[in-house]
Amino acid sequence: MSGVTSTPRARRRAHGRYGRVSQVVTEIDERLGVARGGRTFLDKIFPDHWSFMLGEIVLYSFVVLLVTGVFLSLYYVPSSTVVTYHGSYLPLDGMPMSQAYASTVNLSFAVRAGLLMRQMHHWAADIFIGSMVVHMARVFFTGAFRKPRELNWTIGVTLLTLAIVNGFLGYSLPDDLVSGTGIRIAYSILLSIPVIGTYLAFWVFGGNFPGTVILERFFILHVLVVPLVMIGLVGAHLALLVRQKHTQFPGEGRREDNVVGSPMFPVFMAKTTGFLLIVAGVIALLGAFAQINPIWQFGPYEASRISYAVQPDWYMGFLDGALRIFPSWSFHSFGHTIPFEVTIPAVVLPGLLFGVAYAWPALERRVTKDNAIHHLLDRPSDRPRRTAAGAAVLALLAMLFVASSTDVIANFFHVSLNTVLLVMRVLVLISPFVAYPIAYRIAKEMHAWHGAGQRKTPNVVTRTDEGEYRAEPAPAFADDAEEPLAPTPVPDFIEEPPPPPPSRGTRAIDR
Amino acid sequence: MRASWVLIGAVGLAALSPLRAVATAGAATHPIYQTGRHDAGTPNSDVVVRRHGRVVSYGDSAITYSAPPATLKALGYALYLENCATCHGTQANGVPVPGTSGAYPNLVGLGPATIDFWIESGRMPTADPRAVQALRRPPRLNPHQALAIAAWINSLDPSYPDIPNVHLHGGNVATGMALFALNCAACHTIEGDGDALAHSTFAPSLRNIPANQVAEAIRTGPGNMPRFTGNLSDYQVRDIVKYVTTEIQHPRNPGGFGLGGLGPVAEGFVALLLGVAFLALIAFWVGERQ
Repeated sequence: MSGVTSTPRARRRAHGRYGRVSQVVTEIDERLGVARGGRTFLDKIFPDHWSFMLGEIVLYSFVVLLVTGVFLSLYYVPSSTVVTYHGSYLPLDGMPMSQAYASTVNLSFAVRAGLLMRQMHHWAADIFIGSMVVHMARVFFTGAFRKPRELNWTIGVTLLTLAIVNGFLGYSLPDDLVSGTGIRIAYSILLSIPVIGTYLAFWVFGGNFPGTVILERFFILHVLVVPLVMIGLVGAHLALLVRQKHTQFPGEGRREDNVVGSPMFPVFMAKTTGFLLIVAGVIALLGAFAQINPIWQFGPYEASRISYAVQPDWYMGFLDGALRIFPSWSFHSFGHTIPFEVTIPAVVLPGLLFGVAYAWPALERRVTKDNAIHHLLDRPSDRPRRTAAGAAVLALLAMLFVASSTDVIANFFHVSLNTVLLVMRVLVLISPFVAYPIAYRIAKEMHAWHGAGQRKTPNVVTRTDEGEYRAEPAPAFADDAEEPLAPTPVPDFIEEPPPPPPSRGTRAIDR
Repeated sequence: MRASWVLIGAVGLAALSPLRAVATAGAATHPIYQTGRHDAGTPNSDVVVRRHGRVVSYGDSAITYSAPPATLKALGYALYLENCATCHGTQANGVPVPGTSGAYPNLVGLGPATIDFWIESGRMPTADPRAVQALRRPPRLNPHQALAIAAWINSLDPSYPDIPNVHLHGGNVATGMALFALNCAACHTIEGDGDALAHSTFAPSLRNIPANQVAEAIRTGPGNMPRFTGNLSDYQVRDIVKYVTTEIQHPRNPGGFGLGGLGPVAEGFVALLLGVAFLALIAFWVGERQ
């Protein structure tokens, strides 16, 4: 019972500056050697600009998707086997339906928090892809995809494609009337591909529509294959981000060869953890208070039933819109039919859009002949042509999205559906050509503004004794002056072991 | 399996043959039957009440159809001349539309349910006779006056269906939902909101329609809507009406705010504006703005 060593202060002194935590960390480091890498990681600098946090919305809604998705997969039964429903929802009582639909209704009504989880999953999916598009727009308009980050741009476009595909697969799983219509459209789109379409459709569906295997196949794609690939790609996306370091906007003290921002620990970690909780909270609130995809009102899918006013989820809207407004052209000859009215809007158009997205960094390099490494971002107004091209594509996509609700527009404004259809065709065709010059002009004008993006200094007006007024610009703010920021000091407590002498026939590498 | 098909076939034949007999018999006495084959909603059931040789009411435990009382004829004619004759003519046989080759509809032989539906749903008298499709409005004539006009028009050439009264108790919402999905959702949408059809026509929303008008519309097929007479029995119509007046008109939204039943369009707006834009605003708040 020595009172000297058992006082808190003495214990702290015995364990060093960071107390018992330090001891644990040291024990781990002595076995796994994580201190150096961990130190680099904890010291990673994140620029603080708000637009860099858009990607975090994507990441955190993905986390919500994974968590809620695991919950849903515990109760969902991926089976086309027809069962008779006898559950708590009276209007479906005694109705024959697929086990998939019955299990989805049951998990909505009979499983505690099941409906909340399902709605959170669906809202998270909508927000996931929405924030992905916003994040992609940020990267595009600021030129963050330029060398050396082309690979990460490619990974991002792949992630967007996979997210849209997986969104469609998940939307199809409940096998309700509306999603069954979606699967039917997907089948027709596969069929419309020239030459290989019929083989492809039969291969995917295991025979003719609807078949008995499609839900099982969609399920395993939706919960295993695609998410696995996406998790891998998200890991690669983030690893590249850490490896190549963040881009940053130009500003005082920011150069091509440095990164200015908050370190991972503690500033960024606190901020981003808070943001994770906010994203999850917003999704939970939406899931709790806003009803999404009430499949019990739609009833089970049956090939003979159809509902009017069926739209896909918003991220498939541009495809649906293109399908709706495309004129009914098709090619019949030599005993074959190529339905251009399906092939062009549903196969060629998305192929072109994503093809251009993939190829954009290379295309831009070819046009600008700019092969330099860029870590400083452009303001959108610095590159009027790129900004205008992006605005044109966004305008086209927005118009196609609007075209996916022609019936809602016609019904809401009491105009003829045929008129809406014609108007939408015109709008879709001219929208990129209208958006391009407008965006180009705006970017040019903004670029020409004197001192755009810099802090304004006031003019100081003084009156002399003679009564004369003089206006002189005030000196620049003290904190606007160029001031080299000191790099974060690298701790020197990690002792580098001396390299062992090389011996004959063996090679030595550093640990 | 085979046995059950044979059974269904036999039952179907047995069910059809008396109907056919009634239909042909009916066609002889009532030349106004829209088709000889489709005769649901006409007095072909067991319970037919006649007075002075005229059918007063008929139907079954699901729907009772009753003819408008003949005593209202005189009142009906006066109201008709006041409200309808400008377009439909003094003898209700339609008059030519000035400046076109068309004519306003002939009302003779349409049956009391048709007249009652159009007046009670406020579509007639219409505000705009040239409109592609009359709009539902607060009715200008009260139910009694509508009945009177139906009584007078029906007296010109007695015809069917008479005005239905749906006995909703005993209706099965599950059957109703299945039949609704099969017969109605293709235009009115599965949530009953209605939607635009081609060339300014539209399927109206079903959110605020009284039970009897739903049955009248099914049996008479107003505007572009098909007449459902052959393929839906009175019991099936009752199930549909029960589904429409309960689940469609009072949807239980266990998932929260229903977003107007607009489906993915509304959901997309909420996800992008309340979700993505709100979170981007929070990022704007948390992050640095330079």
